[in-house]
Amino acid sequence: MKMKKFLSLAVTSVLTVSMLAGCTSGGSDGGNNGGASGGVQELTFMVWDDLDASEDLISKGYKDSIERFNKDYEGKYHVKVVSTNLEEYYTKLNAEVAAGNTPDVFIVSPGPNLNDYVLPGTAAKLDDYLNADGWKGTFTSDAVFAGGTYGAEAAGGAGIYAIPLNIAAACVFYNTEMFADAGASVPKTYSELLTACQKLKDKGYTPITISAGTAWCLSMVAGYLCDRNGLNLQDVKDHKTDWNDAKVINAGKQIQELSQYFQDTAVSDDNDVATAAFYDGEAAILIQGSWAIGQINGSGPEGFADKVGVFAFPAVDGSSADPNRVIAKSDSLAMSATSKCPEGAIALIKYFVDDTAQKYTAEVGGKIPVTKVQYDESVAPPELSYVMDVFKNASATFGFYNESLADTEAGATFDSCFVEIFKGTDPAEALKPIQEYYENNVWK
Amino acid sequence: MNVEFDNSVVDKNRAQHKAVQVAIYVLLSILVLVYILPLLWIVMSAMKPNSDFKSTPWALPHDFSSLMDNFVFAWTKGHLGRATLNSFIVATVTLIISLVVGSMAAFAIARLRFKLSKLVLTYFMIGMMIPIHCVLFSLYTQFASWKLTNTLAGLIIPYVAFSLPITIYIMTGFFESIPNELFEAAVIDGCSVPRLFVTVGLPLAKTGFMVTGLMSFVNNWNELLFALVFISDDELKTLPVSLTKFVGPHSTNYTQMFAGIVIAVIPTIIVYSIFANQIVEGLTAGAVKG
Amino acid sequence: MDKLLRKKSNIILFLAPAFILFTAVLIVPIGTAFYYSLCDYKISETPKFVFLKNYITMFTSDADMKTAFKNSIFFMIFSCVTQLIFGLVLAALLTNIKRGRDFFKNVYYLPCVLSSAALGLLWYFIFHPKYGINKIMENLGLLNKASEGKQWLADTSGFIILPIVVISFVALWQYVGQSMMLYMAQISGISKDIYEAAAIDGCSKTQSFFRITLPLIKPMVATAMSLNAIGSLKFFDLIFSMLPESMRGVGGKAHVLATVIYDQGLRYSKYGYACSVGMVLLAMCLLVTFLINKFVKTESYDM
Repeated sequence: MKMKKFLSLAVTSVLTVSMLAGCTSGGSDGGNNGGASGGVQELTFMVWDDLDASEDLISKGYKDSIERFNKDYEGKYHVKVVSTNLEEYYTKLNAEVAAGNTPDVFIVSPGPNLNDYVLPGTAAKLDDYLNADGWKGTFTSDAVFAGGTYGAEAAGGAGIYAIPLNIAAACVFYNTEMFADAGASVPKTYSELLTACQKLKDKGYTPITISAGTAWCLSMVAGYLCDRNGLNLQDVKDHKTDWNDAKVINAGKQIQELSQYFQDTAVSDDNDVATAAFYDGEAAILIQGSWAIGQINGSGPEGFADKVGVFAFPAVDGSSADPNRVIAKSDSLAMSATSKCPEGAIALIKYFVDDTAQKYTAEVGGKIPVTKVQYDESVAPPELSYVMDVFKNASATFGFYNESLADTEAGATFDSCFVEIFKGTDPAEALKPIQEYYENNVWK
Repeated sequence: MNVEFDNSVVDKNRAQHKAVQVAIYVLLSILVLVYILPLLWIVMSAMKPNSDFKSTPWALPHDFSSLMDNFVFAWTKGHLGRATLNSFIVATVTLIISLVVGSMAAFAIARLRFKLSKLVLTYFMIGMMIPIHCVLFSLYTQFASWKLTNTLAGLIIPYVAFSLPITIYIMTGFFESIPNELFEAAVIDGCSVPRLFVTVGLPLAKTGFMVTGLMSFVNNWNELLFALVFISDDELKTLPVSLTKFVGPHSTNYTQMFAGIVIAVIPTIIVYSIFANQIVEGLTAGAVKG
Repeated sequence: MDKLLRKKSNIILFLAPAFILFTAVLIVPIGTAFYYSLCDYKISETPKFVFLKNYITMFTSDADMKTAFKNSIFFMIFSCVTQLIFGLVLAALLTNIKRGRDFFKNVYYLPCVLSSAALGLLWYFIFHPKYGINKIMENLGLLNKASEGKQWLADTSGFIILPIVVISFVALWQYVGQSMMLYMAQISGISKDIYEAAAIDGCSKTQSFFRITLPLIKPMVATAMSLNAIGSLKFFDLIFSMLPESMRGVGGKAHVLATVIYDQGLRYSKYGYACSVGMVLLAMCLLVTFLINKFVKTESYDM
């Protein structure tokens, strides 16, 4: 009798183990490299926002593109979305790549992040697809591919490795009502910016909302200041100058000077909180990429868009640097070099840059489209036309500093150096980590 | 020190003794507040719309029609419902396997006679000192080549291995405490060793099962690092991972996030309040024996 | 009987599953990780043997590791000392009351079983610059505006920065119940005769605590302390959920060993380097356990 009990226990455990084995094989069948089940090819798509829950209008547009694709290709392809937080995106993508589960299509920022996938050959070269059927001709110009173009250093050879979806320019957004109330005028120079902030502060407003909790937000401003002070990143890369260059130190001092006008909690706030402070009417100025339009109009109160004005980041007084350079950034899609179904992956990418998606990008999302699509300027968010003005007047564009340095770690080091400067550390002292990082890893 | 000295002290001391007792109770009660208030605050805030929380974070909810809204949102849109199920599957399966496998090994160490038994116990005990972080990447690459990443089985296997040391440690203590006579009697009746384990060992180590079972359940229910790295599919994420991800798009909608926190801790609070006394007693017994 | 219990087949049958699983999933990967730690190993590349390069970088030129060592060692010392004191005091108080002992005990132990990720988020809001403690201080009139109060989780001045101290206290809050339980278990095992004898000799309760209880629970102090030390060295969940990403990032002053492993391995995909940090963490855990057991658990008394 008792033996039976033991047997049943043993059988249960064997069953459990085999059930687990079942899970396993089931898992790999439905796994990321698209096993065919019932004739439907599964494509994985990885993105940095939860498309189901997000209120960001650009993310909603991505969701829409995927749904249209799934509907049109029903029975042939099906897209499985893998999503993460923005902060955890690259860590998770790296883990998937390491596991040999590179998603068929994944979103990526051009720069060192894209390098991480292009140089070792994780991302596929896309020239053949772009040249077929005149696809490349639908884009506004070849310049939009600049960020995704590589030379012979890429494992797959020279060519284009990423398709841009939209362009955002980093601008200064301001609350026109508050400016009018405080009698502040749109600043053209750094000293005028300080004057405007002082007027706003005297009137009881929080002049600037910014996030040091999400380091790249602060470092975007730092990047602008370095550039306006005349720093040339290529010189740093070639070691013609150091990170303790007077131009960088000056930018650091200006961050410290500006910080008196930041909200009290700037050091703790993350990006979303800082942006919310702008559309909730708690602060007058937000320095942010124009993707913020999608966030402001998606989460902000009705009618707020009409109060928003945009101006280009001001020039630094006395500097000879070109004040018309603009930080621009595009979300781009890359395809896995090991995708089991490149045709499907390309078909999916095309849904993100077709007329419907690009019209949405401009008219609803408020980002600059990358194709020659005609969109209705009267329905597009009013902020977009201001951003377009800034963008059209730009003499040149440059990338986010943290995405333009030697590698991702260098970018993160730059970010935290400026967070330390903002917190009050002497710039020369605070810049030591990035200087040391370059000495140890870049300038060798 | 629960000893009374009443027979040897005078009345003055008794009054003093009473005052000390009152002071102890006051102190302990204040501490209870430190433990309970933060939890209550989150539950209360989760029942409020976000705007109410932002203006008056410490006030009671006053709109009684929308008390559950945030919970519903977190449960469905935040994938926390699915995540609860995943955590339950992972924690339960791990619990069963680690109990079966672990108590068998503990039985062998405590009751079977072989020279190396002390050494085998020490070998397993090393596991308690190993921080799981240091095997994270080697396991990950290994499991990836076996196609075990992004599956629940890929989480269960390491969880079982990490639960084994504590299971074996505590269960060995329990098996050792069973009087030898019981085994002898069974052996004279012609009992085989597997039967001895099932009929004599297991029933007498019930408390041990309870303790180790609950400890492994709770640990694996809460585990974050491995689950964060090993699972990327939303449908397979466990509660702590879904919770940290849920926070992302809602970093400005605090009260939805609070609802998520409450959902993540409620199941363990329920399990704990049912079994609290057994855990505490069992832990006591296990710890003293060990 | 003896023959039956000595039968090899039985021993193998009972030990094999646990032994194989444990060895394959824990011991073998440590070996692999050790090998990786001697390699340059980035994702999608094959490991390239570089011998001690990772370790040399770690101890000479990695600023994050300096921070991580400092913070992790602070966590360890803080947790060992405070958990010992508070755990013992709580255990002593609880063994001295007659009613409600179970209630108090269960409440203090409760956070030990809850998810650190969830509790971390909870405490993040308690220390939020606008809504938690600062708001209470505003309501009490101690602050003009909540947002002008202390930035509990973002202040990075000082040798040991404020967020690390705050998180240490949260960890104490969460885990002191465990130490308390272990000490209570040991105290309740001490024979009453000893205390009675001491009382007859004119020993006060405080005296008997220091002269009898403390020496008798010394072995448990070693156990509880080892658990605390290991637990605090591998600390991850609370930091991960309580601090903004920039604090953990490179140059982030709140790094601990586990977050460095996470960042180096996943953010910068340097698996080899991450494994070498893991090896150092392992070595520290083993060393600390050894030291504690050597110096604390000197002798055990017969009770």
